[in-house]
Amino acid sequence: MKRRVIAAGIAMTLGLTATACGSDDGSDSGDKATDGKGKTLTVWIMEGTNPDARPFFKEAEKAFQKKTGAKIHVEYQQWATAQKKFTTAIEGGEDQVPDVAEVGTTWVPQFAETGALVDVTDDVKQSGLNDDLVEGLKDAGTLDGKQYGMPWYAGVRSIVYRKDVFEKHKLKAPTTWKELQSAAKTLKDKEPGMIPFPVAGGAEMFATPFIWGAGGELATESGGKWKSGINSPEAVKGIEFYTGLATKDKVSPAKVNTWTEKEVGDAWGKGEVAMSVNGNWTPKAIVEANPDLKGKLAAVPIPGQTGGMSKSFLGGSYLSTFNTDKKDLAWEFVKMLTTGDFAAKWADETNYFPGQNSELKKIEAKKDPLVEPFAKQMLEAGATVPKTKAYGEIQASKVIPGMVQSILTGKSSVQEAADKAAKDMDAIFAKDK
Amino acid sequence: MSVRRATPAARIGLPVAVAALLLFTLFPVYWMISTALDPKAVTRGSDVLPSGLSFEHFTYVFEKGNFGTYLLNSALVGFGTILAAGVLSLFAAIAVARFKFRFRTSVLIMVLIVQMVPLEALVIPLFIQMRDYDMLNSLLGLTIVYVALSLPFAIWTLRGFVQTVPKEVEEAAYIDGASWFRMFRSVLLPLVAPGLVATSIFAFITAWNEFVFAYTFMKGSDKYTAAVGIYQFFGENSTAWGPVMASSTLVTVPVMIFFVIVHRKLGSGLAAGAVKG
Amino acid sequence: MKDTLVGGGPEEDTTARRRPAAPRPEHEAALRKKKLVGLTRPWLLLAPSLLVLAGLLLWPLIQVGKLSMQDYAVKFGGGVGTYTGFDHYTDLLTSELLWQTVLPNTAFFAIACVGLTVALGTLVALLLNRLGPTWRLICSIAILAAWAMPAVTGTYVWIWLFQPQDGMVSQIAGSMGLIDPETTNWFTERGPFYAIATLNVVHHGFPFVAITVLAGLMTIPKELYEAGELDGANAWQRFWKITVPTIKPVFLVVTILSTIWDFKVFTQIYLMPGGDGANEEVYNLGVFSYIQAFAKNDYGTGAASAVLLTLLLLAITIVYIRTLFRQGEEDL
Repeated sequence: MKRRVIAAGIAMTLGLTATACGSDDGSDSGDKATDGKGKTLTVWIMEGTNPDARPFFKEAEKAFQKKTGAKIHVEYQQWATAQKKFTTAIEGGEDQVPDVAEVGTTWVPQFAETGALVDVTDDVKQSGLNDDLVEGLKDAGTLDGKQYGMPWYAGVRSIVYRKDVFEKHKLKAPTTWKELQSAAKTLKDKEPGMIPFPVAGGAEMFATPFIWGAGGELATESGGKWKSGINSPEAVKGIEFYTGLATKDKVSPAKVNTWTEKEVGDAWGKGEVAMSVNGNWTPKAIVEANPDLKGKLAAVPIPGQTGGMSKSFLGGSYLSTFNTDKKDLAWEFVKMLTTGDFAAKWADETNYFPGQNSELKKIEAKKDPLVEPFAKQMLEAGATVPKTKAYGEIQASKVIPGMVQSILTGKSSVQEAADKAAKDMDAIFAKDK
Repeated sequence: MSVRRATPAARIGLPVAVAALLLFTLFPVYWMISTALDPKAVTRGSDVLPSGLSFEHFTYVFEKGNFGTYLLNSALVGFGTILAAGVLSLFAAIAVARFKFRFRTSVLIMVLIVQMVPLEALVIPLFIQMRDYDMLNSLLGLTIVYVALSLPFAIWTLRGFVQTVPKEVEEAAYIDGASWFRMFRSVLLPLVAPGLVATSIFAFITAWNEFVFAYTFMKGSDKYTAAVGIYQFFGENSTAWGPVMASSTLVTVPVMIFFVIVHRKLGSGLAAGAVKG
Repeated sequence: MKDTLVGGGPEEDTTARRRPAAPRPEHEAALRKKKLVGLTRPWLLLAPSLLVLAGLLLWPLIQVGKLSMQDYAVKFGGGVGTYTGFDHYTDLLTSELLWQTVLPNTAFFAIACVGLTVALGTLVALLLNRLGPTWRLICSIAILAAWAMPAVTGTYVWIWLFQPQDGMVSQIAGSMGLIDPETTNWFTERGPFYAIATLNVVHHGFPFVAITVLAGLMTIPKELYEAGELDGANAWQRFWKITVPTIKPVFLVVTILSTIWDFKVFTQIYLMPGGDGANEEVYNLGVFSYIQAFAKNDYGTGAASAVLLTLLLLAITIVYIRTLFRQGEEDL
């Protein structure tokens, strides 16, 4: 379950017994929090968000030491393997968990349920941070009205394309699905060496905009029960269009059928892709991998079916504190990183968006053509996946990639595949009640 | 070996077989090493030759990836495992090969059962177990886990070797007035040496390449082994193929060096000349 | 070829001659002592190994067994299980996925891998045994490299080589007109997927067999072969009549262990495109158990499938041992 980029709003719909969370630790979080002399905080940070996070944390440690006297010890974890590390550490208890950790929004419900994370709702309010948080992100880490950490950064996917190639063939950035389709077909004819529009079978969040854009939903809730909506007529229409780009229009070759976003990124770096759904963090990384592409990339929000925008998934990471004896000191550190200069600096270095409205506005104001379309997508057409812990499990068991792949390989029709995916999703919803 | 007559078929067949073997085994290894040396590793497609030669990925792996420490940790854990697994399994092998006792077969099968569970399923229970033994975040604790992982193979293999040593060779040593220990050192040990070498290579590679436990048991990254070090170059959005391949090369090469050091022992069993029973 | 040449396991006793014929009365005490030693010494020798195995693997294994009969929730400082009896087993054993996909994939893949690994490993060991010291060293180092290369790296290299359209193998096959690179993706079909995985596992696994069998070959006295040759046995006969029986325990070990490992292959499948659960068709037991436990948070079912695998392997192992030792000349 490496996908941090998940529900911007996974909230637990049912009263899960988050045992240790409701404790009244507000009483002792007074002044002593800021005195950290002789203490060291262990911090787990995910590798790869920031090309080189070391200098950033060196600086953060200096500032924090000056403020509280405490030291920071950062351990970097990998998305692909970290869940096992977190799970075992949580089982191991207080001595094994970190004091502060970056937690992907999908993981928050799961970790909070174990009682490992600290409920910081009151601290957030006391610090006056509450109103400035980006709403969708705040929801993501709030379960039953309890917030388990501070939103740290967020990302969204839009369409990135090769400006130079589009200009060469007199193509415009697509504003409807039809334009997207015809642009891709033109590219296929004129640029045989390139992939016009990768339909990556392993990339869930490439497919969802088309489901939402056609008016479908991944799942709907009624009376506290979730039911998959992925085989509704609207959703199927969206899936049909998306997969049809590969199966009918052939603008995505067979090799892409098993690709994830990673392989799409690698292909961008090799200059093989003309246009694709891509995260706001990718353009800078692509140019870094292949400096020849500098100035040749452009972005546009994912078009709606007949205009406007299709919604795209908004996801991010939290900085959460764990229930250790240093949790007050840990909260100070979280506050320092998720607000003000450090938050801005992190967003700048990673090309993600900060979790606070005030910081987000500053970025918008810069009018960077490779940032603005993403900001527009995030603010006006960001979407969340179903707000339940079960959806995290659905993602981890790759239900949607499985569906897309079986359509791409011709093993099932769109309807068959969607019906099967709906069945799998409902089974997981039922199990978790 | 010179004993056999070289038929014409063998004269052609042997080099062909050697060439095929080298090609099959080394091609992926070549791919790993050449990508490690390729300054443009990320964009290497199916080109047989790297786009250039540079050690920048290796430098990066040492400077940014902290690989010096990891390799040292791996070496400590690896040698600890060989030593402990060698001694323990030799004892156990003598017990099952030289003595007849009740439950012998059951013991031998029990030893295998523990290998049968997928390691992934053991992660959580073993983690709790190690916490209760207070051996988390410790290279010693990790070593003991690897000893346990290499024992089944080591016991079974050495049992085979001890068995093939004719008993009368041992008896002869006793008749010459040797103590058990002396007999062990000068008769049994040289004869099972090839087996010991095979088991120590196995133990070494087990300890050297294992990832899940080495990662989850260590809270601090200063205690990671080299196998864990490789994973730090797999990012969420992209993989740094150059450093991945460079660090993999660094994990592979010491095993080969280790083998070159011990390989002579592989043949020394016969050289000892004690086989004629 | 005469049976006497190879006949009798290593334990066949010819030492009686050298011993005093019968114990005299004054030796009775010594004899009793000897009996006691014979009773306790094997256990003393075994104790350290058994202790390590029991404390580190057997006990957690029992925990896995317990887990398989529970609904388990991870909790801070130690999880909580609710007893469910054999529910997870019933669910598993009535699941279509298990019988139609997971088990067949696991079994056929494992059989292919074990067969190829042991056969190739033995051939290579025989080859190494015939080479001169220099070439033997060179070849040994080469196969060691294949063994020592981390599984994750090896897997990615094989993926690269077979990468649709761009990989070397795909390009060669494409240029020979065998496939249409534009429309071929080997990773999406069960057969090709497992063929690539088999290549990967055999490449990584045969060195173990080769080195172990080679070590075994070196303990076979040359005289046996010389005598065999005098008797006019050809290479094929010599292999089956001399080599195999003499180092039978070595073959037993490598076959059993290869079987155990190949049945629970995880990394090499999970890392392949679609192997992480996106393509249900290519599930094997290792991946299935992992996805149940760590993706679906259903640790009970994950543990149950691990126990199932253990029982399956136990049965196979016992059958192996029974078959190999049925003559009764040597009971383990």
